[in-house]
Amino acid sequence: MLEAISPMLTLAAADAGAQEGLRASLLVLVFPLLASIACGLCAVFGVKSKLPAWITVGALAASFVVTLMIWGQAGHNTFIAHGYEWITLAWGDGPGQQLVANLSLYIDSLTLLWMLFVTGLATLIALYASEYMSHDVGPGYCRFFAYFSLFVFSMACLVMGDNLLLLYLGWEGVGLCSYLLIGYFYTKPSAVAAAKKAFIVNRIGDLGLALGIFSVFVTFGTVEFAPLFEMLREGVDGAGAPLAGSWQATWIPVFFMIGAFGKSAQFPLYVWLPDAMEGPTPVSALIHAATMVTAGVYLIARMMPLYLLDGTHFALALVAWGGGITALLAATIGMAQFDIKRIMAYSTVSQLGFMFAGLGVLTSAGAAFHVFTHAFFKATLFLCCGAVMHGFAGQLDLRKLSGVGFMKGWGIVGIAMFIGCLNLAGFPFTAGYFSKDMILAQTFATPGYAMLGWVLLLTAGITAYYTFRVFFRVFVGPKLYEPGDEHHGDDNHSHDHDHAHEDFHPHPPGWAINSVLALLAVLSIAAAATYFINKPDHGWVGSMVHNSTADVTSPHEGTFLGMDPHKAMYYVSAIVGFIGIAIAFMLHYVGRRTSEKANADKLLPAVGPVATWAQGKWYIDELYDAVIRQPLLVLSHVFHIVDKLLVDGLVNLFGRLPTMTARALRPSQNGVLQSYAAGMAAGLVFVLLVVWALL
Amino acid sequence: MLLLLVVIPIVAALLIAFASPALARRIAGASSLLFFALTVACAFVFDWSDGAAFQMPFRLPLGLGDDGAAGVALEFGVDGVAMLLIMLTGLLAPLCVFGSFSSITDRVRTYYAWLLALQAPMVAVFLARDLITFYVAFEFTLVPMYVLISLFGSTNRKHAATKFFLFTFTGSLMTLAGLLYVVWFNATQLPLSGLGAGEWSFNIGVLMEAARQMSATEQAWVLLAMMCGFAVKTPLFPVHTWLPLAHTEAPTAGSVVLAGVLLKLGTYGLYRFVIPFVPVAVAEYAPLIAIISIIGIVYAGLICWVQRDVKKLVAYSSVSHLGFCVLGLFALNSVGSVGSVMYMINHGLSTGALFFCVGMMYERYHTRSLEEVGGLAKKMPVWAFFTVFFTLASVGLPGLNGFVSEIMCLLGAFQSGATWGVGGTPGPLGPWFAAVAATGMIIAAIYLLYMVGRIVFGPLREPEGHEHHGPLPVDLNRREILVLAPLAALCLFLGLYPRPALKALEAPVAHALAGVHEHRATMTANTAGALVLVETPPLGAREEATP
Repeated sequence: MLEAISPMLTLAAADAGAQEGLRASLLVLVFPLLASIACGLCAVFGVKSKLPAWITVGALAASFVVTLMIWGQAGHNTFIAHGYEWITLAWGDGPGQQLVANLSLYIDSLTLLWMLFVTGLATLIALYASEYMSHDVGPGYCRFFAYFSLFVFSMACLVMGDNLLLLYLGWEGVGLCSYLLIGYFYTKPSAVAAAKKAFIVNRIGDLGLALGIFSVFVTFGTVEFAPLFEMLREGVDGAGAPLAGSWQATWIPVFFMIGAFGKSAQFPLYVWLPDAMEGPTPVSALIHAATMVTAGVYLIARMMPLYLLDGTHFALALVAWGGGITALLAATIGMAQFDIKRIMAYSTVSQLGFMFAGLGVLTSAGAAFHVFTHAFFKATLFLCCGAVMHGFAGQLDLRKLSGVGFMKGWGIVGIAMFIGCLNLAGFPFTAGYFSKDMILAQTFATPGYAMLGWVLLLTAGITAYYTFRVFFRVFVGPKLYEPGDEHHGDDNHSHDHDHAHEDFHPHPPGWAINSVLALLAVLSIAAAATYFINKPDHGWVGSMVHNSTADVTSPHEGTFLGMDPHKAMYYVSAIVGFIGIAIAFMLHYVGRRTSEKANADKLLPAVGPVATWAQGKWYIDELYDAVIRQPLLVLSHVFHIVDKLLVDGLVNLFGRLPTMTARALRPSQNGVLQSYAAGMAAGLVFVLLVVWALL
Repeated sequence: MLLLLVVIPIVAALLIAFASPALARRIAGASSLLFFALTVACAFVFDWSDGAAFQMPFRLPLGLGDDGAAGVALEFGVDGVAMLLIMLTGLLAPLCVFGSFSSITDRVRTYYAWLLALQAPMVAVFLARDLITFYVAFEFTLVPMYVLISLFGSTNRKHAATKFFLFTFTGSLMTLAGLLYVVWFNATQLPLSGLGAGEWSFNIGVLMEAARQMSATEQAWVLLAMMCGFAVKTPLFPVHTWLPLAHTEAPTAGSVVLAGVLLKLGTYGLYRFVIPFVPVAVAEYAPLIAIISIIGIVYAGLICWVQRDVKKLVAYSSVSHLGFCVLGLFALNSVGSVGSVMYMINHGLSTGALFFCVGMMYERYHTRSLEEVGGLAKKMPVWAFFTVFFTLASVGLPGLNGFVSEIMCLLGAFQSGATWGVGGTPGPLGPWFAAVAATGMIIAAIYLLYMVGRIVFGPLREPEGHEHHGPLPVDLNRREILVLAPLAALCLFLGLYPRPALKALEAPVAHALAGVHEHRATMTANTAGALVLVETPPLGAREEATP
């Protein structure tokens, strides 16, 4: 198959002038789509083997290879690969009188950056899932991989689409796959509720995105990126009028921001992501940590010229502070949770907050770099948690597990987890350290954001603490465990474990999980190396960003306590990280004899109810329920009653007279065809007679 | 050819009425397939590049006028919009017949005879080029539907059928009054000002030209009269209350036809009569109609959320969805109106299919209560797949058909009257209309996911005492899959490749909007000198304005 592609690519590139010749890049979309269809067919034909997994892994790997080839061919150029006409409508010849949204791809280095890690990680995680989901071999397995491939297809549409409507298709498509995969264990009410919540909260964000797209169309007369960026470069709208200072320059970015905040789980729309952990862990790793949730960052990075139109950077300030607040809020909640997957979920929300803060303070390179490094180390962390969950019958409570990393067969998991934790905590010279530093330093370097910088620095410390809280409790210390009672939510598969604790033996991961974890751990470290490629341009990721529409000029006016923030931050953030890790070490490792109790418990009385509140997630879900959902439900009931009594009542009152007439005519309503037909014919004759008389 | 479309169902209905019950099904199946084949044949004969023209004309004078040109006639002709709606009718006909095989076991002949008899007036409404033909067909759809509901419905069927009949009949009488006023105006008033031949013409094209000559006041009254009938049929808030009742009580195929085609008679009426006939009044009152639509979107959507009856939920969702359709239509620009016509087709496909799904569940469990059944995905995976699929189409998920029309209706409303940038069009609405209506997208997600979250997902719940499905298998049988599969395929096709349909609609919709544009052009010309507020320049003028 690959032999067939490479000549096509070479041919296309050889066709000089026409860069659009790289049509083969459409294959990046086609492979996952075909895989999804094939997995669906597997379900139809009742395939009871791991075939769907191999189809998916193969197709995604092929997508990854094609992406690599495009990258090799295209370099830093921008080109458009034409697919077919999707939505096209014309009502005039002038500018803004055609709505054109083709299924075509807009490929520049930002696109390629995203597609490289999306397809690459998706391949690895699919391989991991082939083992992880093996309890469900059969229809469930087919279903899982069909959704999985469909997700990659949607993500490709989102990232590669050459217009906003195709982006929107991908945007909602990934939301759909997220919905379907969160609700994968569909007999579990909590999973169904979580899936629904994710979709609906995302839809609120989508409303913002839709309004943004409408406004863009009306302002610029197009939704296609190429002409749009052309106009944005000039800073004019479709009629050539300058946009600086107009309301569009201020508010269109805000609309897009709402969309981004929904998809990327930022305050106030973050509540769906922690619940999304109801899905199988590979899904949490790929969709809810590494790729889909970064779509919001992608959107803002992609539309960066739009954000820069407004000289006051109003929307960017919102983005920065939205991100900062979310980062801190989620980190404080993460500190107090016991479910290790949820802790990782809150850390994802928090890290996404860092990325948005980075975008807001004008370091799109830093934000993109953090997306890139985070994708690897967070996927590693989730997959390690998944391996634990898989091996201990669904146990995720950090109070019930201890010393897992030293158990027989769990070595790779322990090491991978350690590497992931170091990255997340921002330990010096890890990838997470470099990428977080870029954002932190820039918050101080950009005037007016020093306060945000301190918030993020505090958050970085908290992050180091809660990350190593998990590590010190679950992966090191005395070897103790208590199995969970869950069998991946499915009640009739053949699990070879017995429920009873005394008969339970942890089930160490097999080759697929171990090899993927090992590879990801290596990649998490290797991601740091990209920082030193093309260093003046902020590393490889930076150079990719600088050659795309996400390019910004980062200000350098601000200082960190009088020092150059970029230099100072190397030390400051390292120290902050150390402090966090040290506190975790003291509170959760030193003197811990059981899995249940640790030194941290002694501190609980001192902080009073704060710990309980944080554990209760600051009761924001409850607040939303009371302020939004319940009133809306009451309103719906009121409408229903009004509809029944008032609206319909009036109609019935009005209808009383004709009804009585009808009663008088009841004998004729005898259900016999002929009499109705006769009646109607009589009516027709009557009408015609009236007409006749008029003539 | 067009006449055959009307004749075939009637002949088939008559044959069935006198055939044996066993034969009745076969005749019904065969004739509905023939009917569908004929609509497809028409679509092939139809010249899609000239979609605005009324093609394949057929005229049979009924001898009630002075000569051939005037007077009442059986007159047919189709443009692109009518053609698409006829294809929808044609597609649903065999599906309804085959979908009823297991649910209707009693009085088979009566059922199929009326089901087929229903096809004729429905298709005639879309075909009609003569006012009386239109009106008679419009009213004749009520009779078969009345019979289907009152004889084959559920417990409260008599009340539902009567309400359905009287409500819509009263409304359409007003419509007739309005339309007859136009006839009278054409025949007696226009000649006074030296226009027109003073004939009693019932030709829709002639009347359209005449109606546009009416004064603004007259147009407003005619608009009101026409809205009475069409708004009830659509249905718009607050005259929608017959619909949930009729849907709940109707047999499955009845609900499918009702949602799929009968409601479209209302929106088709708005498209065919209201907008081209009275452009001045339409331009003036469009915001009002749009507000009513938006209220319907939100109000009916929220009501869906608290329904306990699946069928009622889907029925209310129709009210909410058709709000989008009418909103798009009254954006009075290409994007909105083309989106609106697409909405008619798409809603017919996805909501029709949802009614099939609900019906298939009902046949197995004999309940529609969300409290009694749940988690059926476990037992009926194939059914669950289709139900979720059509729900997503209904939610407006991109890639499926609902999205294209919904986003176009909203964009149409958004750009209508926008005076900034270049993508705006002259029109009566504006961004606020779209922004408020777009909350309907969220509400739709809320209630539709609530529905599938209960009946498809979650722990398995079955009504007490439920042991077996009777003659039907646990999951869908081949016949049922064959009923749903074409609809699903079309939903996917129109979602991924709507381009041909959009292209076909460009010209006819522009033709329908011509009156509005003309009116706007004269308004601009009249007020330009007086420095009264001028909207964005009309079509064409902008090209000169921009370098």
